[in-house]
Amino acid sequence: MNHTVGIAEMKISAEPGDILATYALGSCVGVSLYDPIGHVGGLIHCMLPLSRIDPAKAERNPLMYVDTGMTLLMQALFDHGAERKNLVAKVAGASRIMDAGGVFNIGERNYTVVRKVLWKNEILIAGEDVGGSAPRTMYLHVDTGRTVLKMGGEEKEI
Amino acid sequence: MAYNILVVDDSDTMRAVIAKTIGLAGIALGTLFQAVNGAEGIEVLKREWVDLVLADINMPVLNGVGMVAQMKADPALGDIPVIIVSTEGSVTRLQGLKDQGVKGFLRKPFTPEELKKAVETVLGAHHE
Repeated sequence: MNHTVGIAEMKISAEPGDILATYALGSCVGVSLYDPIGHVGGLIHCMLPLSRIDPAKAERNPLMYVDTGMTLLMQALFDHGAERKNLVAKVAGASRIMDAGGVFNIGERNYTVVRKVLWKNEILIAGEDVGGSAPRTMYLHVDTGRTVLKMGGEEKEI
Repeated sequence: MAYNILVVDDSDTMRAVIAKTIGLAGIALGTLFQAVNGAEGIEVLKREWVDLVLADINMPVLNGVGMVAQMKADPALGDIPVIIVSTEGSVTRLQGLKDQGVKGFLRKPFTPEELKKAVETVLGAHHE
């Protein structure tokens, strides 16, 4: 079954038939984490880098921010039996859409915070496709952890 | 088999980042040796069995170029693969190191994934 992960949302699944999908990643960043031993995975779609930009909003929706969102994603995966040392991380998005002048560099900052959180948690990035200006759709296949991107008419695995 | 790796860099932070990355990279690691300059690096190489050296170029006492030259001049150390991890951009200098048999280059700043790949490439090629 396909599950859509909206903006500032996340989904976790251990159902082999599930595909988690998030659409229209622009400057937002999508992160999939998958435990190939426990066959459990999660996908998150974050908008902004740091929760301290707006603590009140972050409290209402921590998934909007990369720092708080990633922490919750990992916690949820651990609750589903995933182990930190098994986690395979894939990252997509962080483009310059809606910020063509690069004034705020939201995409780049989102990506930097993803890197920081993963580094702190001792997880290397196994695959990524970030930057540029094309919107991306990201799919996580829960049976294998295969992460596929659709950009324009093209499809590729990261 | 497990690999013994020597990291030569005068920055504590850089050595810590490299050490952590090697730990995360899933490389079969025996002992990770550290040295703060080329002279110390040579000392370690003479004393210990090392399978791979990751070395900076700009360091006090003996820099990376001097260290590689000393290794090449020593029959016991000349075959140990070296990856240079440095901000060095001088094509002439890098070519000189390549001519001396340096196996890989990683330009600072690097991502941990790039370091992992460089180490895997050299250890893989070395093992074949």
